[in-house]
Amino acid sequence: MKTSNVILQSMTKVLLFLIMIFSIYIFFAGHYTPGGGFVGGLLTSGAILLLLLAYDLQTVRNILPVNFLYMVAVGLVFAIGTGAGSLIFNKPFLTHAFGDLHVPILGELHLHTATLFDLGVYLVVVGVTMSIIQTIGGDDE
Amino acid sequence: MAVQILLNVCLGFMWMFLTTTYDLVAFIKGYFFGLLILFVFRNFFSSRFYLYRIYAVVKLLFIFIKELILANIAVVKIVLTPKLHNSPGIFAYPTRLEKDWEITTLSNLITLTPGTLVVDISEDKKILFVHAVDMNDVQDEIEAIQTSFEKAIMEVSRK
Repeated sequence: MKTSNVILQSMTKVLLFLIMIFSIYIFFAGHYTPGGGFVGGLLTSGAILLLLLAYDLQTVRNILPVNFLYMVAVGLVFAIGTGAGSLIFNKPFLTHAFGDLHVPILGELHLHTATLFDLGVYLVVVGVTMSIIQTIGGDDE
Repeated sequence: MAVQILLNVCLGFMWMFLTTTYDLVAFIKGYFFGLLILFVFRNFFSSRFYLYRIYAVVKLLFIFIKELILANIAVVKIVLTPKLHNSPGIFAYPTRLEKDWEITTLSNLITLTPGTLVVDISEDKKILFVHAVDMNDVQDEIEAIQTSFEKAIMEVSRK
């Protein structure tokens, strides 16, 4: 019997975005409160996984035409880049810098290069998780 | 499009609740991140990513302002010429637009730019009857409307 996943699919349409914004919140919360790149990345891949459960692999590939292996590579480049960036200023590898920046609308921002490193972690986690799931899931093709 | 904007506003509010800061800055941050998520999942919706459409609306607005200035200069020229050289007339303009609001917008734009004026619309909403102050070549007039207004309106209403 063929059944319709209409409830799951229409709930996914709402929940996907709520999970995504929560994952971004968790990603930025990492500095002062629990959270960070790893949990944020896992939450993001959890959101995409929900999409995979509600639809099929091909639909998700059409919605997100991303090669997740490249995503891993980009994440590693971010991590190495922020680490190597300190070498230019004659500081040891992985020395981080921070500063306060005044942006017109957002006000006072406390920026730290550790966030960029975290972004690398985030991308690697999303890329690795999604590659694993897509490889296992796409076995029968 | 409306669904996407509503969803984006909801995401902005959700960000405010998550960070427990209830000011405009938090909303803007949440709206921005929501915009990012919507952009990543843009193929998920049956219609386009809504910023493209807003861009098309802004473009239509600027085309209107530009045409308004150009047409007014043209009318000033006609008024200030000592002898009348213009040849007025009414021509039929076949429109490709289908929805009611598209036709209304097009006829309003044609009317508001001086030099042309929509007199009537045919029963089947396929032909606009336009009065032109100076029509030397009907084909030129039709082409001018088609390339400026109709294309821009189609860009707005495209899925």
